[in-house]
Amino acid sequence: MSLKNILENWSDYRRTAEDGGHHDYEHMWAMAIDLNKCTGCNACSVACYAENNLPTVGKKRMMKGQGMHWLRVERYWDEPDMGGDEKEYQERGGSFLPMMCQQCNAAPCEPVCPVAATYHTPDGLNAQVYNRCIGSRYCSNNCPYRLRYFNFYSYYEESWPEPLNMQLNPDLSVRDKGVMEKCTFCVQRIRVGKDAARREGREVHDGDVITACAQTCPTEAIVFGDMMDKSSKVSKIWAAHEVELGKHEQHKSDPDLRGYRVLEGLNTDPCVTYLERVREA
Amino acid sequence: MSGNDINRRDFMKFMGLGGVGAATLSGCDMPTTITLEEGKEKVVAYLAPEEYAIPGIGVYFASTCQQCPSGCGVHGRIREGRLLKLEGNPKALNGRGLCQMGQASVQSHYNPDRIMQPMARKGGSLQPVSWEEAWQIMGEKVSGVDQGRSAWFTGTVSGHQSKLLDALNQAWGSKEHYVYEAVNNAVGEAVNEAVLGDAVPAYRLDKAKSILSFGADFLGTWMSPVHFSREYVKFRTGDRGVLVQVEPKMSLTGANADLWVAARPGTEGVVALGVANVLLTKHQVNGNSLTKAALDLIAEYNASKVTEISGVGGDSLVRIANYLKDNSPSLVLSGESANNHANGYQNAMAIMMLNVLLGNVGKTIEASNSMAFKDLKAKRGNSRALLDFAKAIDAGKYDVVFFMGANPVYTSPSHLGFADKLAKVPFKVALSMFLDETTLAADLVLPLSSPYEEWGTTVAPYQPKNAALSMSQPLMNPLSPETKSLGDILLSMLKHHGVAGYAGYDDYYSYLRAALAGMPASVKAGKSGDEFWSASVQRGLINAPSSPGSLKIKLGDIKQPGYQANSGFPMHLVPSTNQNMYDGRNANLSWLNEAPDQVSKVFWDSWAEVHPKTAAKLGVKEGDFVKIESDQGAIETQIYIHKGVHVDVIAVPIGRGHEEYGRYAKGVGVNPLKILSPAEDAESGELASYATRVKVTKTGHSADLSRLGGSERQVGRRLVSTVAASVFRRVEGA
Repeated sequence: MSLKNILENWSDYRRTAEDGGHHDYEHMWAMAIDLNKCTGCNACSVACYAENNLPTVGKKRMMKGQGMHWLRVERYWDEPDMGGDEKEYQERGGSFLPMMCQQCNAAPCEPVCPVAATYHTPDGLNAQVYNRCIGSRYCSNNCPYRLRYFNFYSYYEESWPEPLNMQLNPDLSVRDKGVMEKCTFCVQRIRVGKDAARREGREVHDGDVITACAQTCPTEAIVFGDMMDKSSKVSKIWAAHEVELGKHEQHKSDPDLRGYRVLEGLNTDPCVTYLERVREA
Repeated sequence: MSGNDINRRDFMKFMGLGGVGAATLSGCDMPTTITLEEGKEKVVAYLAPEEYAIPGIGVYFASTCQQCPSGCGVHGRIREGRLLKLEGNPKALNGRGLCQMGQASVQSHYNPDRIMQPMARKGGSLQPVSWEEAWQIMGEKVSGVDQGRSAWFTGTVSGHQSKLLDALNQAWGSKEHYVYEAVNNAVGEAVNEAVLGDAVPAYRLDKAKSILSFGADFLGTWMSPVHFSREYVKFRTGDRGVLVQVEPKMSLTGANADLWVAARPGTEGVVALGVANVLLTKHQVNGNSLTKAALDLIAEYNASKVTEISGVGGDSLVRIANYLKDNSPSLVLSGESANNHANGYQNAMAIMMLNVLLGNVGKTIEASNSMAFKDLKAKRGNSRALLDFAKAIDAGKYDVVFFMGANPVYTSPSHLGFADKLAKVPFKVALSMFLDETTLAADLVLPLSSPYEEWGTTVAPYQPKNAALSMSQPLMNPLSPETKSLGDILLSMLKHHGVAGYAGYDDYYSYLRAALAGMPASVKAGKSGDEFWSASVQRGLINAPSSPGSLKIKLGDIKQPGYQANSGFPMHLVPSTNQNMYDGRNANLSWLNEAPDQVSKVFWDSWAEVHPKTAAKLGVKEGDFVKIESDQGAIETQIYIHKGVHVDVIAVPIGRGHEEYGRYAKGVGVNPLKILSPAEDAESGELASYATRVKVTKTGHSADLSRLGGSERQVGRRLVSTVAASVFRRVEGA
């Protein structure tokens, strides 16, 4: 993917939701996360640290919001305007939300990059080219989900004292100061799955690729797969809950179907569908 | 594995025969990575590579996670001879899933603060020594010890390592083996044993339609959280069961409850009686399963009395009773916060009474199968071991003590004076991977290999139905050739003492091979010894024969004390367990320090949780430092405010506040276990860790709390959207 190619074919890589541009993609990687199953246990987040060479930055830098948690589990307390109440105690527990890059099809981060370091792949991924990134941080500024993470320092200098460095995954790089990074949907695993399929002369099957977060999830709340494969588990969940790509508002046959996308109204066309949390009362 | 004649090359050749797990094959267009660190590795040409070792290709081998006592099966991803990542073993009790502790256990293996060679106390401090010298010191100090003057103090042990330990103790004429876990379910087990005749029955979350849990954090820290999480999903899908959690401070399980109820610590039994009262009076549940005395007692606990003692309102009691009655069968659980009290046994008994009254025994509580290999079963830890051991060393009972897998100097309350008592033991040996507080108090330190560098078998403490041995195999070369596995050390000691039957084994690997080869033909399923070994190592599990057990119902006396106020120390201290730090063993892992606590979202430090009303009364806001003072001492930490804490409670998580234990743990946060008041459960003798009263005062200092940033409210945006269960059942119900 050369820069020249990107600039010449800009409109191919810069899609808007209205194009429905994903229809001619090779794959369309997506997720469905069931908040009825998610317990907020955080295993996904730590698995992501293990898989993706995420540095630990320490207390001070974490407090400045510089933590590199590509996948963070947010916790909200119930409130009256979200169906909760003002009782003395937190009777309905907490609301957990695993948030990773939503791999938006109309990603607000992409058009603002002055060097096209972030662009859309024909896999439907919002990719980040580390070598091209100059650290303007415009993308991070423009992400409504706050899911882009900037290397303010050379974290690797302190994050992996020997022999911790031996754990680093050689399938992807360790990023240095001045570079933006974020969840890639475990692109290195996608690569492995695609290569294996090609070598065996077949299509990529559902289940060939699983992200680190989805694999470790004790409740299998996270489902990952290819939306272009209509028989994939993730396609079926999106279809069952009547969530469609290329829309900023879903018109459902039954308003009680649980699927929704976070901040969908911003017209970002995210590739992650959440299924609503369930409470007795 | 030192001292044997199998080198890594042979071992891996052998492993290659098994070809374990799903080899993920990456493309030839990927950059080939050849690891070669100057002076550290030999240059070996890849012209004739080992069968499994293809540069750039990850291969998975099965082993067992030891980061907590649950004993989950794992698949480790190996590339170019290094362990990179762990996944759950789909065939094991935990399935393909793994919790954050399991994910981070690879950081324990590669920890920069691991002990890489033996150490001995010389001139007051620990100095590195060779194994020859270490064995020589052992010979001098241990060999001449009289029968019964030595003891082992360990965490949960099982499998063939446990068997060797028993053999060694037997040879020494000492039965003294203290098995200690700061986080345990010992009181619940004692009640299970008394009532059901089965200490660890099968809890069928998947069969229950409603669960009432008194502080059992089965999604976070209770017995086998990954396994229970899998069962929880079955409980929550289809007709979707109802979960009610009663506890003084919201646990992870509490945060997932449909109804979370705050109860004063220690009054859980009273709440159980109150629920029974509503069931008997409002719902006319048949009380024939209970004795007259029990029914009379329950009749006394009307709503107003229960509210007065526990702080749980009558409306909550009715709601709980309705849920249980309307969603049958139910399951009632008792966990840490209910059990670890001066009246903990009575709490657990009253809670068990609800199961009897609701007819759950045999439906959602089933008999466990008893595993045939009795000598391999897990020795489950408790806190009584700590108290008994402290008494024994205070009385000068032992000349030699071995420590392994437990850190009592850190986890014991100050009132035990554990460190001082320990000084009375003339010779202390610590088998450890890290210089924790207990290891630093030892006279001789034997460096253990990591769980991913050694051979072993594990029997999970909670696996009531499908009994199995989980295999551990080295996933890579040891980081230091000077570390040894527990099995190898025990075997060397057995051989040194000339115990019959062990001389023929060069190392623990050969012992284990022989042990597996000697298993009954039914277990080996017609395979030869070698075939069976390969299959076991490949699969990571050996199914053990087991026979179905049975449950009796013999409810003990139920009684509950009244509530005792304490004007000098008006608040209750809840030393809560969270999954990040667990009992403090995870404090040396940077991932788990940086991972926010599941409920409060605080990272890299300790904190104290209080209710908004309590905060107002104390005049504190988030981030203010408070002094928490018991009759045993004081700690200072920052306040976090939320409505998941009882108003009379201040909750400080355990696990931080280490004085030693490596760069990530040392000097971070506070340890609430230190200020616990002396209290034991009368019936079981367990440490009543939730029975401490404290006085909380403002210090005047304040700082930003290290909490995951941003709003705790959704300010009306649909970030986490919630629907009613009735809607869910209509649309997606079975």
